[in-house]
Amino acid sequence: MHPSLEQLENARSLALGDGRYYSTIVPGVMPIIGVQAPDTTSIEVRRWGADFLAETFASPTWAPEEKARLALTVLETLKLYLDTVQDRGVIKSAIQAAASIYPLVYRHIVSDRNDSHHWQLMLAIKSNILRQMDSAPSGVRICCVKFVQQVVLVQTPSVVDPRRSDPNDISLNLVPRDHPLMPYTSLEAEGQGLLDRLLGIIHGDHSDALLVTAVLNSLGTLIQRRPAVANKILTSVFNFNPLKLANAPMTSKNKVMMKSIERTTRSLLVNVIKRNPENPNNGRIHQFLETMHQRGRAALDETNRKRPAPVEPTDGLDPSKRMRLAAQPPGAGPSAAPAGPPPVAPLPPGPVSYRQLYTLNAEGNKAAFDVQMFQDPEQLLRILVPVLQSIDEVKLGHAINAVRSRYLALSKAAPNAAPAPATAPDDEDEYEPDFEPEDAEQVVNRLDGLSSTDNFPIPAAPLAPYKLPEVPPLTQQEVQVYGNLAVRQAFEMLAVAEEKEKSKTSKGGFNRLAASDFGRDAWITILSRLATRASAGLDDPDEGIKDEFVQEHAKGSLAISETVREGLLEYVMKDWKKRLDIAISWLNEEWYNDTVMAESARMAAKANNVNGNASRVVTHAPKSNYQTWALRLLDRIIVIVEYTDKILLRLLSEMPALDHEILRRIKKMAEDPERIDLACMVLQYLYMFRPPVRDLVVEVLTELWRENDRAKPSAAKWLNRWNPAVLQEEANGTAGNGGEVKMENGVGKESANGAFGVKAAL
Amino acid sequence: MSADPRLRSRAQQQQQAAAVPPPPPPPMEPQPQPMGMDGANDAPAGQKDAVVDRFNLKFCTVCASNQNRSMEAHLQLASANLPTISFGTGSLVRLPGPSVDEPNVYRFNSTTYEAIHNELAQQNTQLYTANGLLNMLGRNLTIKRFPERFQDWVPGKPRLDHEGDKGAHGTEAGVVDVVITCEERCFDAVLDDLHNKGGKLNRPVHVFNVDIRDNHQEALVGGKAILDLALSLNEAAGKERDIHGDNGWDRGSGSARGGFDERVPEIVAAWQERWPNLPALWSLAWV
Repeated sequence: MHPSLEQLENARSLALGDGRYYSTIVPGVMPIIGVQAPDTTSIEVRRWGADFLAETFASPTWAPEEKARLALTVLETLKLYLDTVQDRGVIKSAIQAAASIYPLVYRHIVSDRNDSHHWQLMLAIKSNILRQMDSAPSGVRICCVKFVQQVVLVQTPSVVDPRRSDPNDISLNLVPRDHPLMPYTSLEAEGQGLLDRLLGIIHGDHSDALLVTAVLNSLGTLIQRRPAVANKILTSVFNFNPLKLANAPMTSKNKVMMKSIERTTRSLLVNVIKRNPENPNNGRIHQFLETMHQRGRAALDETNRKRPAPVEPTDGLDPSKRMRLAAQPPGAGPSAAPAGPPPVAPLPPGPVSYRQLYTLNAEGNKAAFDVQMFQDPEQLLRILVPVLQSIDEVKLGHAINAVRSRYLALSKAAPNAAPAPATAPDDEDEYEPDFEPEDAEQVVNRLDGLSSTDNFPIPAAPLAPYKLPEVPPLTQQEVQVYGNLAVRQAFEMLAVAEEKEKSKTSKGGFNRLAASDFGRDAWITILSRLATRASAGLDDPDEGIKDEFVQEHAKGSLAISETVREGLLEYVMKDWKKRLDIAISWLNEEWYNDTVMAESARMAAKANNVNGNASRVVTHAPKSNYQTWALRLLDRIIVIVEYTDKILLRLLSEMPALDHEILRRIKKMAEDPERIDLACMVLQYLYMFRPPVRDLVVEVLTELWRENDRAKPSAAKWLNRWNPAVLQEEANGTAGNGGEVKMENGVGKESANGAFGVKAAL
Repeated sequence: MSADPRLRSRAQQQQQAAAVPPPPPPPMEPQPQPMGMDGANDAPAGQKDAVVDRFNLKFCTVCASNQNRSMEAHLQLASANLPTISFGTGSLVRLPGPSVDEPNVYRFNSTTYEAIHNELAQQNTQLYTANGLLNMLGRNLTIKRFPERFQDWVPGKPRLDHEGDKGAHGTEAGVVDVVITCEERCFDAVLDDLHNKGGKLNRPVHVFNVDIRDNHQEALVGGKAILDLALSLNEAAGKERDIHGDNGWDRGSGSARGGFDERVPEIVAAWQERWPNLPALWSLAWV
């Protein structure tokens, strides 16, 4: 590989790894591949450059705003590529890049109304591409087609419904009427003109299936995103004959191309139906698809069966050709029907509908006559009777003969022809589970002769106003799921914020507002307050009373708080040592909220008391969230705490309120001999630095001493200092009341007492 | 998928069937040219191989479940050094189960071939060895990790996380030049989905359909046919790169001079004559 190519390739793989690098890599490679590069730059590098630009500006991995900024810097390079480099690969990629860039520059110019320099460059690129669209080889022209599609997309108005507007949808709507560089009307006119050019391609020469399918495949987006022109496009597609090639000699290349064009048309229309099942055009689409299918079969079958037949009759018999021969005297083709005075057009090959069977003069206006025009049967009668009376008997006889002979000819051919229509639906089923032509509808279509085979009457009226389908209401379950998702996302964001903050260490101390920035602490404050306060006071004071409805309601209203709390708990537990501060501030919030709630409950109780209704309220004091969650947190931590984790001291000392239940967890922890010392250390610390809980500590320590033999020595050491009375009592009552505590543990007691005895002796 | 077993694999698997459950079979040795069990076609693709470091088209093979036909083709293309990725268009991965109305169903994009293999081996080693499923899954897990759904593919999203897949070299940018489907239903699904994706990359992609019946034997033959098509396309694309400068880059006349895209219809036509039993379709779409 070329040495500089290798470097370029390295840069590219960096950007592939992370799209954010594009904004630094693009300026980095431009000197090598762009206008500044020497003229001697090898074609390989130019190719690489064009490919890179096409890939870069198409990449979904970086922000459109950044793309728009950098797009301006590559315009000159693209222009250079298009104007001077004579290489198909470079041109193709440059046009692709231009197609991605055009909307970006367009939007930039809309907002920066004086930037004529870049707009001129873009216009030069555009006119270069539009020139190529007629003359270049098809491989390049298809890229031009896509470019033109983008131009049409941004230069036609999008939907007006503001509910459906997409901020990233760049359309004519963005352009102000008084823009100095972009005259609204000429942009609009150009858009329409270019759309006509696109549509012209599918009506043109089909020997280039490449272009035709390229256009068809680019129309889907236009129909979907620009309802204003959807009707025009559909009308054009309805008038389009995908089987034009059936007239040409049926080489295997033509056959592949014809099938491909038919299939592509079908995909496009099926996609239109699927994306908008309420489209008023859908009926017509179904009809078109079915006709196309039948004729496609006919054309292919015909060629399969009759390949050795002379070319000329095939031409004359072809239905699509016949449509174009309206001016020709009827009966010019070799007639399959007996020649009567009024010459009768032959039936088209392949399956024939009843309407076709009875239509003797397909060219006449009467073929398209629809009897359903007459809404009033009376009126119909008034016309019909005189018409029937005036019929020339001879002509009628001829006509009947003609139809009869047609019918006979058909029924002779029936053994061959009959299976074809019968197998059609089967064949469809096998490949088209998503789209099944309904049989009933097929039959109706065939019989009623509502439409001529080729041209569908298209009303000029615009599409009906689009109605957004009603969003089905979320189920209880979905609400739960989405709620949980939101909470989870909040915590994911927290993790990111935490990472960013690692460098920052300064703390605001007291002199700051809670939740004033976007940092981790702010989010923690918000989340914990959301959990504690959002639903505070909402739970039913009558919770204890059995009432299905009320209970359900209360559950629903509190679920969110509980979810956030669960989230907080999980978040803390993921790295509890580092996130202890979060746990503490959360518990503080819980405690604060509980206190406030208790206060207001007390006030309420007072008020109720006046009404003589005190008893119930008092018995239902608000339940303590603090207690519940502090215990849950401790239970989780106690399980994993190591005997070296002195940080537990901090947690216990900073928890806003301690009670017997909480300290019992410490006692529990001490059941693991390794962690006895840690437990004692916690209790000691609390005794020393948290005087209000001294009594509690001593109580727990006593219990520890009594219940846990292995902890006895350590516990005794501190009890001896803080409450020797207990030890004394125990020593006295060894034989007597001491057994009350541990009757079941006689042996252990003996040895433990022995140990204590030694200690006491010391 | 029919239960038509791959005869060759049956012979291979018979010894392995004894062990319950068998370990994933050893990776199949890459076979750029699989055994010519059909013997029907002496494809000109026979000895060809895409030359590394030459301009290569990027390919994508698609079938319903990304298990049999697309994976066979994936393996063959990747073994010929063509950058390849593969997808399924179904809503779920469906594999034959103990009876016709009890298929085994898995999610796309997450259930690994290995997990499926292990589950089926546990379910009924005998059955799934006999119908060739275990062998197929064993092959698949050497190609890539899990079946992917076409509709979930985001074109242009880098695929660096698929580095270990066979044929991954060259597909890092997450774009392809050629999509080859194995069934008309998939062809339609691909065109339909590309309409939905909206062609945001403005990049042309040739979509082909090669109609292959869904059984192991046909998949093998179809894989060869797809390889033949792919190599013909790749050769044409390579030739386009060779034409450069004033000597005709912008003159579309003359098929020999014509660029890659223009020549596609005639390449398909020629291919169709070589493989008359695999009806082909083609369309130029946008990713």
